[in-house]
Amino acid sequence: MSKKTARNQILLTVPMIVIMGAVIGWPLIRTILLSFTDAQLMDSGTSGFVGLANFRNAITNEGFLASLKISAIFAFVVVTSEMILGTAVALLVNEPFKGRNLLRAFLILPWAVPTVVNAIMWRLIYNPEYGALNSLLTQLGLIDSYISWLSSANMALGAIIFADVWKNFSLVALIALASLQTLSSAQVDAAKIDGANALQRFGYITLPHLIPSLQVALVLRIIEAVKVFDIIYIMTKGGPANRTRSGSIFVYQEAFTNSRMGSGATYAVIMVALIMIFILFYMRIITKKR
Amino acid sequence: MRSRTNKTKTILLYTAAILLFVYIIAPFLWLIIMSVSSSEDLTTRPLRWIPKRINLSSYAELLTMGINSRGELFLHGLRNSLVTALLAVAISMVVTIPASWVFSRHPGKKNLILYAAIFTFMLPPVAYALPLYRILSQIGLLDKSFSLALVYCTIVLPFCVWLIKENIDAIPYELEEAAIIDGAGLFTQITKVVLPLLLPSLGTVALLSLIMAWDEYFYAMLFTNSKQAITLPVVIANLASGRQSNYNLIAAGGVLASLPPVIIGFLFQRSLIKGLAMGGVKE
Repeated sequence: MSKKTARNQILLTVPMIVIMGAVIGWPLIRTILLSFTDAQLMDSGTSGFVGLANFRNAITNEGFLASLKISAIFAFVVVTSEMILGTAVALLVNEPFKGRNLLRAFLILPWAVPTVVNAIMWRLIYNPEYGALNSLLTQLGLIDSYISWLSSANMALGAIIFADVWKNFSLVALIALASLQTLSSAQVDAAKIDGANALQRFGYITLPHLIPSLQVALVLRIIEAVKVFDIIYIMTKGGPANRTRSGSIFVYQEAFTNSRMGSGATYAVIMVALIMIFILFYMRIITKKR
Repeated sequence: MRSRTNKTKTILLYTAAILLFVYIIAPFLWLIIMSVSSSEDLTTRPLRWIPKRINLSSYAELLTMGINSRGELFLHGLRNSLVTALLAVAISMVVTIPASWVFSRHPGKKNLILYAAIFTFMLPPVAYALPLYRILSQIGLLDKSFSLALVYCTIVLPFCVWLIKENIDAIPYELEEAAIIDGAGLFTQITKVVLPLLLPSLGTVALLSLIMAWDEYFYAMLFTNSKQAITLPVVIANLASGRQSNYNLIAAGGVLASLPPVIIGFLFQRSLIKGLAMGGVKE
């Protein structure tokens, strides 16, 4: 490689590195530095170095540990449901029937609805006084009195999960469908002739074919789900009694509502570290299989 | 026997298809119905599922400019959302196209940068939000579309560099070699050979990134607060957070904010999904 091409290569990457450094690298370093201080939201340089005190407080803070648990439960239930429902839906709309193209076209709708609109839409549906869900269930005779879905400690998280699945199963379904359409029917027919039943055909041909694209969908969904903020913040703000407060919402409240930037940064750093460990662990498993 | 199992299969298939259709369509259809109902229709028990008459006043209110009116805030939000999303995508694409070319054609130690970019995609926005908020407030850049667009690069840029690199990988290098033999410089090599072939996939990447930026709420909620920079998701979230019961207005805001991504989704479904599944479908 000549000197000139080497220089050109650097020149071509410099703009991206500058932007990344400014909006990603530098803030990330600042967050780490902040986590060792007692900085307030709006202080004028009076923040002091407190060493590991924030970290000692963080790992014993029950509210924080509970919020991590809620993020984990949310991510696990949401992603599992979306993967199963999405795959099932892709298999369904891959079968020939009348109106199939229309149904396929509408599959994009939940994915395209903005997260904030989805959250507001379901909040209106769950409304305790005039919500469509209460009205529907009453008219069907399934419940006697209206239920406050989002103010109930036992049901709020489930209600949010249901809303999130509605929006995001469609992404899994569309990705799986795209992959199914590249599966040669000759292969399936050959298995049919060899006497494989539907279950065997799915297990030995369809599923192995689907797995690479399902992995992409899985990674995309896990990354989104462990960071969850928007949908919960808009539907319940983390309530009732913090029963839907995710890790991201906990950090936000600590830094911006309680104005404790320093310890907020500590919680953020711990969350990032956990997500990193989780993803590295996950990548190891995937690359080992290959 | 054979025809009977076929018949059962057909019935099951259509039942499942109808259930799926209802599941997909019902929530959003209800949002549309709410948006054209009157407040009275939506606050009666039992609920009036079909409004007595179509009432477009919510749309009129949101789309009419008046001083300090909801319409003024909504229309400003619409404009700011557009400006911020376009700016963020433009900045991200301008800096990632040349960089992605290097990552694709000359992989090596430099690809650490690529991995770093992809890795940042996985980190929660709260990890950057704290210092970004402090610095933006110190230099007086809070509540500006331009600074919000720069912040959006944290989300859009990693996504762009990953997808664009994958797409350049798919373009055979032989074409560029031919151009080099013809005496083309690096600039010509990229703009005349790579770019034209890359254009269709760049369109897809741009659309996906625009939808991503259009969807963003967290940073916008933190970094903007007035009509000069506030974005649509924040405007409608604020609209919905009050205790008032004008559900029809909230619903109309939701329908309007959904229109651009939904229309893009319906028009470009095939290429959008191909873009999203990139890297997994090939192998």
